[in-house]
Amino acid sequence: MGVVSPAPVSRVDPGNRRPWYRPSHVVLQTGGGLGMVAGGAGFTLKDRLELDVLVGYVPEKHAGSALSLASAKLLYSPWTLPIKDKWSVKPLTVGGYISYTHGTINDEKPNQYPKGYYWFSTDTRIGPVLGSRLSYALPPTASGYARNLSAYYELGTNDLYIVSYAQNRKSLSPADILVLSLGLKLDI
Amino acid sequence: MRSFFQNLPVRALLPAAAAFLFSSCDLLEFSPNDHRAPESERDLTEKNLTRLLQNPLPAGDTLRFVFTGDSQRFYDDAEDLVKSVNQQPGIQFMLVSGDISDFGFAREMRWVNDDLRKLKVPYLTVVGNHDLVGNGRKAYEAIFGPRNYSFVYGDTKFIFTDTNGREYNFDRTAPDMTWVNKELADRTARRHVIISHVPPQDEDFDPALRDEYAGALREDTRLLFELNGHRHAFGISQPFEDGVTYINSSSFESRQYVILTVWGDKEFRLKQVTF
Repeated sequence: MGVVSPAPVSRVDPGNRRPWYRPSHVVLQTGGGLGMVAGGAGFTLKDRLELDVLVGYVPEKHAGSALSLASAKLLYSPWTLPIKDKWSVKPLTVGGYISYTHGTINDEKPNQYPKGYYWFSTDTRIGPVLGSRLSYALPPTASGYARNLSAYYELGTNDLYIVSYAQNRKSLSPADILVLSLGLKLDI
Repeated sequence: MRSFFQNLPVRALLPAAAAFLFSSCDLLEFSPNDHRAPESERDLTEKNLTRLLQNPLPAGDTLRFVFTGDSQRFYDDAEDLVKSVNQQPGIQFMLVSGDISDFGFAREMRWVNDDLRKLKVPYLTVVGNHDLVGNGRKAYEAIFGPRNYSFVYGDTKFIFTDTNGREYNFDRTAPDMTWVNKELADRTARRHVIISHVPPQDEDFDPALRDEYAGALREDTRLLFELNGHRHAFGISQPFEDGVTYINSSSFESRQYVILTVWGDKEFRLKQVTF
């Protein structure tokens, strides 16, 4: 290798950490209830804690109207395990998200419903996610940050699906309420 | 390569890869409002009607069907309802008076269908207010079909209409009175039955259309009765004291339904069943 050897993957050098409010990576994903395509930036809040902020899109033909979704995902990945060469894996990522959907057809006009008519929000969802990530170490950035290209999956669900399952454990199974995200992350 | 797969962390990825391969379409949900579904779970109204009309009811024969409603988020009860209805002899179909879903999601409508497709008879639905939440109206249209439709079975014309006025912010489009009047004016069938979710005396019915709707029903000499849901409790009455009978269904979680038997011009018998 050259003068700068690839840093241990996904381990930001403590002496060379950017402030938390500067994005540390970009994200592109599909599914997970956050868009047919969703992209955005992520922040490394602490060594193992990330916040991804995404904007997603679903075309009209798949959802009845074109939807824009804004979401934030907080992810904790306790372990990074080297595999070989430049490959490493985060076997477990746990976290949660909140999403807001803009563009639904029936978007609750003022005074359309008496107070408390529907107990749930039609456009704000929260839910847990659980996944894994496979990373490949690219050459570090010009400023010396470790840089990985990662592929991840996350299995998740949302508040309304959880309520549905919790009250119908005979008829529904956990698999019925799962949604999958597949995505890529690139450190910047 | 062998050592690669023997590596524990990589093995952790394999279940996800398998899950992805087996059911990626359903799992890769773009939004809870995403209403994509396999062909077998789309256009269920048309599929159920095709099934029903494969066993036509000869003119003059007695009509017998199950009437229930409001399946919303009561999937365990739906299983038991199906077991009970499947033991009823001589019924031709089941009517569900709306609120198939709770949140207007296609996934919920498909969960209900997962139970109701096990009925020995076809089932037909009318759209409810919960089915119109968010993007529900498009989900309902994709999974079930039109919000206003009718068919003739034996001597009876069944008219299904969207009366969930509040979901349209009382814009005078629901019920679609032009469509309702046209359907009621059709004189090919001996009798008419109209099915909607919100009953006209309810505060969720468009107040600007209440009198017109009730009046249209009053003037239809072939009308046997109007069937509703929404109130989660069985009831039979003539709320406008005008000779028109309104029957409200029980909801799935109240674990009751009714069997309606119809003959003659306007003769009917109602039997309540608890399960």
